[in-house]
Amino acid sequence: MDKKLGVYICSGCSIGESLDVDRLAEVAKKDCKVPVCRTHACLCGDEGIAQMRADLAEGTVNTMVIAACSPRAKMECFNFGAGPIVERVNLREQVAWSHQPKDEDTQMLAGDYLRMGIAKAEKMEPLEPLTEAISRTVLVVGGGVTGIHAALDGADAGYDVLLVEKEAQLGGFLGSLKKTFPTRAPYTKAADNDLAKKIGAVCAHPRVRVFCSTQVVRTEGQPGMFDVTLQNGHGTETHRVGSIVLATGWKPYERARLALPGCELPDVVTNVELERMAASGPVRRPSDGVPAKSVLFVQCAGSRDPAHLSYCSSVCCMSTLKEAEILREENPAIEIFVIYRDMITPGQYEAYYQSLQNHPRNFFVKGTVKSLERETSGKVIANIDDSLFGSPIRVAADLVVLATGMAPNSADNDAIRTLREARRTVERNESETQRVEAEKVIAQLQDREGTEILHLGYRQGPDLPVLQNGFPDSHFVCFPYETQRTGIYAAGAVRAPMDAALAAEDASGAMMKAIQSVEMAVNGQAVHPRAGDLSYPNFALQRCTQCKRCTVECPFGAIDEDEKGTPRFNPYRCRRCGICMGACPERIISFKNYSVDMIAGMVKAIEVPDEFEDKPRILIFACENDAYPALDQAGMSHAAYDASVCVIPLRCLGSMNVVWIADALSRGIDGVMLMGCKFGDDYQCHFIRGSELANRRLENVKDTLQRLQLESGRVELVQLAINEYDRVPQLIDNFVARVRELGPNPYKGF
Amino acid sequence: MADALMVQPDHAFIREVIRDSGGELKKCFQCATCSSVCAHSTEVRPFPRKQMLEAQWGMGNRLLGDPAIWLCHDCGDCTARCPRGARPSAVMDAIRLAVIKRIAFPRFMGSVASNLGGAVLLFIFSALLLLSIAVLPLGGSFARPLIYGEMFPKARLEPMFYVVGVYVAMALLVGMMRLVRALRATGVQGAILPALLPALIEITLHRRFASCGSGQIRRWGHLLVFSAFLGLAVMGTAVGVGSMLGLIDTPLPMLHPLKVFANLCALVLAVGAAILVWVRWADQEKRAGSSFGDWYFLVLLGGVGFTGILTEAVRMGQNLDWMFTIYFIHLCLVLTLFLSTPYSKFAHFLYRTIAMAAAWQESQSPARGQAVAGGPDVALPEGPGLPHVI
Repeated sequence: MDKKLGVYICSGCSIGESLDVDRLAEVAKKDCKVPVCRTHACLCGDEGIAQMRADLAEGTVNTMVIAACSPRAKMECFNFGAGPIVERVNLREQVAWSHQPKDEDTQMLAGDYLRMGIAKAEKMEPLEPLTEAISRTVLVVGGGVTGIHAALDGADAGYDVLLVEKEAQLGGFLGSLKKTFPTRAPYTKAADNDLAKKIGAVCAHPRVRVFCSTQVVRTEGQPGMFDVTLQNGHGTETHRVGSIVLATGWKPYERARLALPGCELPDVVTNVELERMAASGPVRRPSDGVPAKSVLFVQCAGSRDPAHLSYCSSVCCMSTLKEAEILREENPAIEIFVIYRDMITPGQYEAYYQSLQNHPRNFFVKGTVKSLERETSGKVIANIDDSLFGSPIRVAADLVVLATGMAPNSADNDAIRTLREARRTVERNESETQRVEAEKVIAQLQDREGTEILHLGYRQGPDLPVLQNGFPDSHFVCFPYETQRTGIYAAGAVRAPMDAALAAEDASGAMMKAIQSVEMAVNGQAVHPRAGDLSYPNFALQRCTQCKRCTVECPFGAIDEDEKGTPRFNPYRCRRCGICMGACPERIISFKNYSVDMIAGMVKAIEVPDEFEDKPRILIFACENDAYPALDQAGMSHAAYDASVCVIPLRCLGSMNVVWIADALSRGIDGVMLMGCKFGDDYQCHFIRGSELANRRLENVKDTLQRLQLESGRVELVQLAINEYDRVPQLIDNFVARVRELGPNPYKGF
Repeated sequence: MADALMVQPDHAFIREVIRDSGGELKKCFQCATCSSVCAHSTEVRPFPRKQMLEAQWGMGNRLLGDPAIWLCHDCGDCTARCPRGARPSAVMDAIRLAVIKRIAFPRFMGSVASNLGGAVLLFIFSALLLLSIAVLPLGGSFARPLIYGEMFPKARLEPMFYVVGVYVAMALLVGMMRLVRALRATGVQGAILPALLPALIEITLHRRFASCGSGQIRRWGHLLVFSAFLGLAVMGTAVGVGSMLGLIDTPLPMLHPLKVFANLCALVLAVGAAILVWVRWADQEKRAGSSFGDWYFLVLLGGVGFTGILTEAVRMGQNLDWMFTIYFIHLCLVLTLFLSTPYSKFAHFLYRTIAMAAAWQESQSPARGQAVAGGPDVALPEGPGLPHVI
């Protein structure tokens, strides 16, 4: 494309009062030889926009550098469609609003930013959106309450849905229940289970195809074109779907894993077992078949315990109340004891708790059941400590019910992968120590064997990666329903413990995400968090050395490998974070509008003054998702910081290629600061582990610095959350002060 | 855990408390707002949070020996602030009544003052008793002008009251012994006799009422009733003993100091009872949390004072038609009050005194603020997850 560059400088929003806009225009015209350079007092106004549109229409300009406010502001205003190349230079938030007005340093900084913008624009290329044929069918895996609702919602929205259930009929756990939690005012009685109606509706829906007794045996491809192989008694068949909702539900936490002495006694059952017993007549003691006259419930059996399930399973209190109601219907004189840690009955369910609590033969107390033992009379005695009675108590009951919690029916991708690799190591049997290590891993993880659900044909393993507690999250708080595999969304109890009412709502949420995912794929756009992005990485494979770093580090498993280890990119799986670009030592991965070369060009565009005393130069690579907005926010609150820093936004700190640091330091820039999201267990990275990877790469950078005989303190990584903008000036000024102490970069002037 | 308490709900006890004024008992979810707002709850002996739980679980035996139920003065602060409407003060009231029934002597008399049927029976019994000594011997007719001494011959009336008095004293004594035994069984070790004097001083001065949040009006009501009763008891004993020894000739002239004092007491009793009735009626929560026993006791008290004054007024007006009837009713009420003393709320004058004396030492001991050793009721639970339990 023949580049026709136009630079547009806005002097509104106090940019004009802070900077000499005419001198800035000279930078564009004289230094950078840009043919068209215009200034305007209000570029985003009708007149300014009309001028820019006119230049585009006349063909005098096809690449625009807009030096005005932050690229995060007025995005709609400066949106000129897919045609022209647009680069934004942030003169407002990060220059005029955060530095001394009419100051030489501020003016120099603005000049640097403009040169950097022009340098990048010169290297940017027009986008070529993806245009492959996309399937709009959605696959729902799991035919319980969540799956049924998801299928109905998707079908009602006009999308074809395949609903796959491994059991012989739909319904899941909820389908096996007689009664459900109260559903309508006054919320004091268990409701009749009306899932059968929904099952009827989903089976009759013309857009839904239901597959019972069926499992997913293979999932190949990418969003918009997943090829899913289903297997049942009749054989296997492959369907093309656009996205997937995983609604595989939960399993009760295993009683055998509880550390409660006596929990293995015959007259101790779990809440799920009790539901089954209650479904077929009066509840009897398993040991002798005598109808139970007293039942004791042990709440939080495994839940809210760091050694078991560290979370609240959210349904056990309610199911205990419901079971109490059912038991009393059978036997009005039954004594029911509930030993709880906290009765958790949110919202309207509180009314249910109150109504059950009001019965004179229902007994509730906060306490800890320490052990269970069998009395000679045949009753089970619960020894209770820490109770609100103020002293240990013992309560005898015919039957003890453990209110066990919910564990997700998920597959731990990383564990399965580790297990598979360990098996391969044993097969290869290359060295004794390796084999012994691998056998240890196998012993530890062998219960994961065969737990795959989706059987993904991904290089990074056969299923969804899980985070804490086995939930297949991407980021629980910020991105509900998102998993770490694009186009696959989790819903219901597999995603978080929840009851049927919540699961039904969750199903809608995940189905809407799944629909959004196929629609974006149709337009060649990225999904969350870079929703709408048309760019994607291109691989210059002729220079690839098959080092596999990109295929290993992609957080979303977007890159597979062929037999030789050459990356096979699946663009529709890609979230456009650029972590592969940061990983590649050969620098063969680049976007049309974001590449190693472009950022390096920006670094080169910074003028580094020879004299150091007043004018050191510091470079900040800031994550676009959290750190860059925090910098903008600091500007909006007019928090001044040192004018010797230049900020380059990155899609993710994980896209940082270490060559930029080497470039910067060799050009005489005195220090480099990396601002990324928090990493670790409670990471805030939008791409799961970008900032963590950057931190790891930094270790290598420090080695390089030592070789160059540069102080390691010249490069620093800080973790900054989006709301920590008040920390920005101090962070920057302190770093500048430390760099000043180190003295000038010895490579200055080379 | 061998010494852990085996809990087996006493369903009869729960039913009793719920049927009485503790109808909202089961609503309590143990937030302990009640114990925090109670002016009398101490760290050594916090209440009524735990008493609510014990009553929910039907732990009648534990509550029987718990002095805290008597330390409560039923002001209603807890009820006013209870977030669940469990009415702790009404529950405490019901617990006290249940305890009074359980330590009643003879036991079958236990519920005589807590239900309408029992109360009516007791009143009829009193009336018959009085008639048997008055009307029957006179063959059903009265001499006119009417002389009380002839209507209810002193020679019969006074011995009858002595017999009733001895019976009531015995019943109270047995009840007291049962209470002390129960207190000891739950580990309340304070010596009672030496603590009686300070406890009585505190009771006389109504110090505890002063700290209740329900305002001073109730304190005055109780103080008036309390003083009037004390005065009437002293006066009555003096007149009785005096007339027996022939020192006093009844009826006393109107301006006789003893007569003036007695009239004053009657007036104070009626006013005090009226105040207490008003306090109970005006507060909606308190009214809702009142049982038959509460009203019965108050109405009986007020009735005795009111009919006493009326009797005198009618006699002075020489209204012969009404004189007998009103005097008779007055005597019936007095006798009913006497007979129901060990079984009604009235018994609290003795049981609360004993419980306060028994708990006196612990409330004064330097260990205040910490758990008292040996008292399972007050041992604070150990272990994580339980904040300071009140």
